[in-house]
Parts: sequence; C-alpha cells; structure tokens
Amino acid sequence: MSVDTATETKRVFGVEVPQPRQFGASGGIMRRLNFGTGLIGGIGLAAIAGWVTAIITPSSASNDTFAPMEPTYVYLAVLLGWAIGFMLGIGAFVGPLRWVVGRDITHDDAEYMAGKDLGRARYWKYTTDHKVVGIQYLIATMLLLGFAGLLAMLIRTELGMTWAELFSPSFYNSMIGTHGIAMIIAMIVAVTGPLGNFIVPMMIGARDMAYPRLNALSLWLLVAAIPMLISSMFMGGIQDGWSVYQPLASQAPIGMLGYQLTIITFAISTAIASVNLMTTILTMRAKGMTWSRTPIFVYGIFAASLMGLYAFPFFQYSQILGLSDRVFNTSFFNPLNGGSVWLYENLFWLLGHPEVYVIIIPSAAVALELMPVFLRKPLFSFNFAVAGIVGVVALSGLVWAHHMYMTGWAPAANYPFMLSTEMISIPVGFLVLVAIGTFWRGTAWTRLPLMAIYAVIFNKMIGGVTGIYLSDVPVDQYFHGSMFVVAHFHYMLMGAGLFGAMAGIAFFFPKMTGRILDERVGSIGLWTAFIGFQITFMSMFVAGLQGQPRRVLQFDSQFNISNWISTIGAYVIGIGMLIFLAAIITSWRSGAIAGSNPWGSKSLEWQTETPVPLENFPVLPVVTERPYDYGVPDPYEAELDARDQDLTEKAGIK
Amino acid sequence: MSGTNASTLTPEEPEAPTNRPPSMRRIKLWLQRPYARKVLILTVLIGFLLLPLCWLLLAAMNQTGAPASDIMKDIEQTIFVFTLVSIPITAFVFAVLLYSLLGWRRVTGDEPPMQDSPAIRTNTIGVILWTGVSSLLAFFLVVWGLIELAQITANSYGSISADEQPGQPKSEIINVTGQQWVWTFEYPQHDGLTSDVLYMPLDRPVYFNVTSKDVIHSFWAVELGIKIDANPGAITQTGVTANKVGTFNVRCAELCGMHHAYMQTEIRVLEQDGFDSWVRESGGKKTS
Repeated sequence: MSVDTATETKRVFGVEVPQPRQFGASGGIMRRLNFGTGLIGGIGLAAIAGWVTAIITPSSASNDTFAPMEPTYVYLAVLLGWAIGFMLGIGAFVGPLRWVVGRDITHDDAEYMAGKDLGRARYWKYTTDHKVVGIQYLIATMLLLGFAGLLAMLIRTELGMTWAELFSPSFYNSMIGTHGIAMIIAMIVAVTGPLGNFIVPMMIGARDMAYPRLNALSLWLLVAAIPMLISSMFMGGIQDGWSVYQPLASQAPIGMLGYQLTIITFAISTAIASVNLMTTILTMRAKGMTWSRTPIFVYGIFAASLMGLYAFPFFQYSQILGLSDRVFNTSFFNPLNGGSVWLYENLFWLLGHPEVYVIIIPSAAVALELMPVFLRKPLFSFNFAVAGIVGVVALSGLVWAHHMYMTGWAPAANYPFMLSTEMISIPVGFLVLVAIGTFWRGTAWTRLPLMAIYAVIFNKMIGGVTGIYLSDVPVDQYFHGSMFVVAHFHYMLMGAGLFGAMAGIAFFFPKMTGRILDERVGSIGLWTAFIGFQITFMSMFVAGLQGQPRRVLQFDSQFNISNWISTIGAYVIGIGMLIFLAAIITSWRSGAIAGSNPWGSKSLEWQTETPVPLENFPVLPVVTERPYDYGVPDPYEAELDARDQDLTEKAGIK
Repeated sequence: MSGTNASTLTPEEPEAPTNRPPSMRRIKLWLQRPYARKVLILTVLIGFLLLPLCWLLLAAMNQTGAPASDIMKDIEQTIFVFTLVSIPITAFVFAVLLYSLLGWRRVTGDEPPMQDSPAIRTNTIGVILWTGVSSLLAFFLVVWGLIELAQITANSYGSISADEQPGQPKSEIINVTGQQWVWTFEYPQHDGLTSDVLYMPLDRPVYFNVTSKDVIHSFWAVELGIKIDANPGAITQTGVTANKVGTFNVRCAELCGMHHAYMQTEIRVLEQDGFDSWVRESGGKKTS
C-alpha cells in the first residue's frame, strides 16, 4: 500500500504527527439517535412485525396438541421486532452499517460517541465512554432491583395474609418466577456492571475499555431485554419459578417466550461484557502493574467474567432448545416424544451454580478492596485472596449437580458432587481468612462502606454454613425444595451479594458522582434493611425446618407464625431499602462535594480528578508499588524480622 | 534424588543460629497478648450463645412428630453434628468482627485517619493453622456425609431378596404416581389396590417406585425424611422403614403448576394388624 500523501497531520508538542486516514464524512443521522429514537424504533418494528406475522399466519395453525399457534408466532415476532428495532433506533448498528457502504466511524464521530461535550445527553445515547456506561448500568440495575423488590413485597404480602388468597395461584406463580429471574439478572450485573465498567479501567490505569462500542452494546442489550421480561407478566407470566423446569414450562402460557428471549439476549450481553472486561484487564493494565500489583477487585471482576463467559452459553442453549420445542414442535425436553427432563436440569444448573459465584465473588472482591482503605493496613495475605478466587473459579463448574441430588438423575453421582461441593468451603475459607486477617488489629474507620462489610461478612457466614448443610446429600433429602433453601440463597445472594454491592456503591459513589453519599441517612437505611433481613430469613429458616415447601401460596397453619414474622421483616427490608435509595438520590442531587480522593486511598482510580475527565488520566500512570501499601511496620514483627535478618546475614546464608 | 546428591556434594551447613523463637513458643507468646486472649474468650462466649440458639431453631424440625424413621433420625443427627462443627469457626469470625469494633481502636470523622495500623501482610503460623483446621473440618464433614449417604442409600434401595431372609420382615412395594395435582399410591402386592392416602405398615421396609404422568413432581414424605423427584417418563426409587405409628405428611417439593401448594396428602403408619384390615376393607388381597 502506498503512503497516502494527503494524510492529515496534527501538531503534537511541536511535532507533525500523521493522523489516521478517515473513511467517509463525519456526522449524519447517527448524531440524532438516542434512547427516544430507540423506543420509537423498537415499538415501531414490534408493531410492524406483529402485524405482518398475524396476517401471514393461517388462523388454523396449531401444534401437535391442537393448541393455536398464532399468538405464539405474533408474540415472538413482536419481541424480536422490539429488540432489533430498539438496537437499530439507538444506533447500535451504525458502525456495521457504515462498513457496508464503505465508510467507517471517523475520529470526530468516535469522540462524539464517547460523549465528548455532550453534557447530560450522553447518558441517553449509545455512548462508548466506560464511565457513562457504568452510570447507565447503575440506573438499569436499580430499576430492575426496584421492580423485582416490589414483586418480593407482593409475594411476602400474599404469604403473610394466611387468612386470604390475595392473588390467583397462576399470578402468584408468575410473580415468584419473575421475581427470581429479575433479581438474578440484577444481581449478576449489580457489581460487574456499574463498578466493573466505571472503576476497573481507572483502577488498572487505562483510558477506556478495550472495546468501547461493545461495552455500549452489552449495556443496551440488557436494557432491551428488560421490557421483554416485564412484558411476559402480561402474557400469562412465567409460572414455573426462575428455573422454568421442563416439561412444566411447555405447559406455560406464551409469556414463557418473554423469559426465553430475555435469557437469550441477556446471555449475549453477558458474553460481550465478559470478553470486554477480560480483554481490558489482560491487555490494558498500566505500566508496572504486574499481577502481584493488580488490586484484588480486578481479580474478582475477572473471575466473575470468566465464569459468566463459560456458564451462560449452557443457559442460552437450554432456552434456545426450549423455544424450539415451543415454536417448532421439537421435543428436546418432552418425555412423551423421547425428550429428557434431566437434560434440561443439567443444562440449567451448569449455569445455575457458577452464576451464584458470578454474584458472590465480585461482592467479596469489593469487601477485600475497600477494607484496607478503611482499616489503614494492607490486605492480609494477598496471595491467599487470589488463591481463594482461583479455587472458587476452578471448582465452580464441577458442582452443578448438587441441585439435582433428589432428581433421581444419577444417584451414584451424588457422592462425587457432594465431595466437590464441600471442597468449595476451602477456597471460600481463604477469603474469610483474608477478611478477618485484615480486620486483625486494624483501626477501623467506621464509615458506611466499611460498616456494610461487617454486615456482608456476618451474612456470608450464615449463608456459608447453611450451604454446608445443603451440600450434604442426606440433609438435602430433607431440605431440598423447602423454604430452608430459599432462606439460604437469600443469605448468599442478597445478604452477601446485594449488601456487598451497596458497600461498593457507597465506596465508589464520590468517584462516580462527585458527591459523598449521605452517611447518616445511608446508614439508617442500611441497618434497617439489615435488621429486617435477619428477621425475614431467620424465620424462613424455621419455616424450612418445620417442613414448608417453597413456591407455595397456601400452607398448613403450623407455618403461620414463621410466615407472619417473615412478612413483617420483609416490610422492614423494604423501608430500609427505600431509605437507602433516598440517600442515593438526595446525595446525587445535592450531596456534599467530594474531593478527588475522599477516602485517602492509594489505588489508581482515586488519583485522577473528580469529575473524571474523558480519558481518565492526563498522562498514563506507572505503577511502582504493591497495592494496599498502608500501615506502619508492626513493631513486634519488625523487631523479630530485623533480628532474624541480622542473624541470617551473620551466618552467611543467602 | 537431587536432595541426596546435594547433601553429598556440599557439606552440611551449620544450623543458623537464631533468636527467633520456635513456633510453639511463638504461639505461647502470642497467647499472652491481651487482645488475643480477649478474642478467644469472646469466641467461646459467642459459641455458647450460638449453641442454644441453633438448638432452638433446629427443634422446629420435630414439630409434627419427626423423626418417624431411622433415616430421618440420621438426618437430624447429621444436622446437629454439622451445627456443632460449624459453631467454633463462625463464633471466631463473629468474635473478630465484634472485637474490631469494640476492642481495637475505632475512629470516626470525615477525614481519613492519620494513624496507620500495623502492616500485617501475612502470618505463616496463622495461615497454616486456619488452612489446616478448615481443611480438616471440611474433610470430616465430607467423610461423615459419604458414610451417612451410603447408609441411607442402603436403607432406601436395599435389594429385596436380601430382605426376605428368614427372620427379616417382608418388604412392601408401593408405586407412587404424581399428576397435577394429586398423589396416587398403588399396592401391586395387594391386587393393585390404589389409594390417595399413603398407608404404611409399621417396622417393615417399604420401597417406592415413583413416577409422574405429566410434569416433574417431588415425592416428599416429610417426617420420614425421604424425598425423590417424580419424573415423567422415568421411574425413580426410594424406600424407608417407618418406626412410629401416626399420621404424617406427603408434600410435593417441586413446583408443578397452578395448584402445587395443594398437592399434599397424609401418610398413615399402622401396625401390621391395622394395615391388614385396611387392605381387606379396601378390597385388596391380604398379605401372605
């Protein structure tokens, strides 16, 4: 290729630097696209697709059980139309479409897409800046948590009103299914989305993510998936729990399509986000940031991405097969025509268990990341923290069948799966050791983020110990499918996961918004929620021990008392969460202005100014020391070490 | 191999003279530190506080007359043992959390504290102790669980011919069918007698062949401590010997559609005479 003489140059520090050649003109329609045009595109294409499908489908279309297929086809077309139309309307396909016509995103357009000089409008656009994507993830997560939390309140209201049936059984079943999957999606992105995108590139000293446009794509795919999930509630709902076991799911109304397409879309979003985060972490760490100088939070996010990347395809395949059973009359999971229900269970739990660690590990990493800052001492045994995370990742894919002890799939397999599951307690034990070792003799600066970590470790211990019970096959024979399981995983996913995410949000709030999270209101909210949480789920353990099955809306009167207490606790959680939300909103609007480093942290993300400029750092940083270099030498240990060193040298031993 | 070579090639090096106390001595010194003692005392206190609390919670298991079989008794015993094993570690972690707020210094305020804490980057003895103890506990729990599982499996899938040795009580076979949203129990040894309440003889092994007509259900005989999924297109097996006369519960433990909550029935465990007369009155053939 000949050198293009017409290449533009630009003077940088007095040197003429040739600029990359631009293909095509800047600007055009892509600068007019935003969330609003996305909605228009989505609703428009959904309407057109639904209408066309309704016309071309013969009204006599039916499946082998003579159920009419027209609603299925129309709803499927509407959902696909929505997703494609929304992504088209918001500008997700601008790059590929330009390639088709021989153009590319020019430098000006790339800057425009990064939200340069756009002010607040950039939060409503297909913006590639990782900080904007982080904030967008935060808002999306909070909306999803609010929706699923509202369903939780309705569920507890139904269970608390033992004298009446508030909802119909099918609507109740649809609520528990939607609550479950919405919470799972929200919790998977709760730390990795907002903090993984906003903080990780700054923490490793990079200017942005490795693939900024894919970053925006992963976020907006998640946003596109949420209305599909909510719409399913109006199409008969997901009446089969979040696990939508087959063949029950094939009996469900067409709302199941909403679930299946949500999962298929969300799995794509997760895969893109995971690859992006992993590439960023692997290739874009600052000069000098060796693996032993990389903060533990980065390890946590990397581990979660890795697990998400291998686990989600199983879930996606299971839903594609389920969709095919429903729409194309195949029978992967239909035992009447030779399908297998155990196939579905295996595919589902191959996601289901790693996904738990996708939620827990980032929250544990948040805890380990902020403890050194507030205790003013280094992380106790960085190597053990890494070993703990590596151990969990290594075992995460080998334990899925402990959800299937009682299915009769392979009774002999219960022995190895019990072994692998209980082995998980060893790497998790490493993480606990690092936590208590860091607390050891530390002067606690008891601000809100650190206080939340006390709550996280408390809940994680209870969730962990009850997890050991459940990993034991004989004990699981009593607990499986009971309220005990529900209480256990809420301790892990909410008690450890959500409270950990709240700690992370409180910690990084000054960097993300430029303001300090209101300490008093935030603490009141956090501890109210914490107390409500203990009331709700302790009495749910009791209900499980008494023998109450899960996912029931009516039950024996012997379970009444524990359910009443549980419902009261749930309302306390609700109030606490609303107070915490109020703290977030008021502090975001009018909180105290934070300096660039209000916590006195030594980590890279706090060394740049707040609000963070477009490319994070004026000059890329170089890392010269280990993370968490806080603290003074331990007088006792220092004395011993010095003596040791001295004697060793005298003896001539190297 | 290389070790022996090295020792033959280079003369043995003298032991490094060191004033660093040996490990046991260091642990003793450590125990003399006031905070170490206080944390350990706190651990014991919290442990003894947790013990009755857990006992109280676990007592909920016996509310409706459990355990009504050896299997359920084993399960309860396992839960108690696991609780006992978990309490010391949990109590230690809680003690550290509590002591970090109450014992070691605590600062508030808006500015990062100037006074830094001791930079403890690692502690070999502590790490080895923790890893050793937690691995030993995990190993103990695994071994306990594996033995328990083998026993329960032997009780629930025992081969029928072995049970029919002279002097052994004859086993009863019951075919359990789940469908939305009822349980049906068929007694093939009694002319295919069917019932929607599970009648069981006392002190005789009962084997269940469990299946489903539509979706997945889960056959849970609560107080007897057995549970197995009822899958469409497959037969799963379990078994139990009831050792207590009374009325117990069968519940469905797998969401199976609209009326999942109502898919429950009773178990009536009867003495052999009572069971025989129930069979006769219901029109089945008497057991030989």
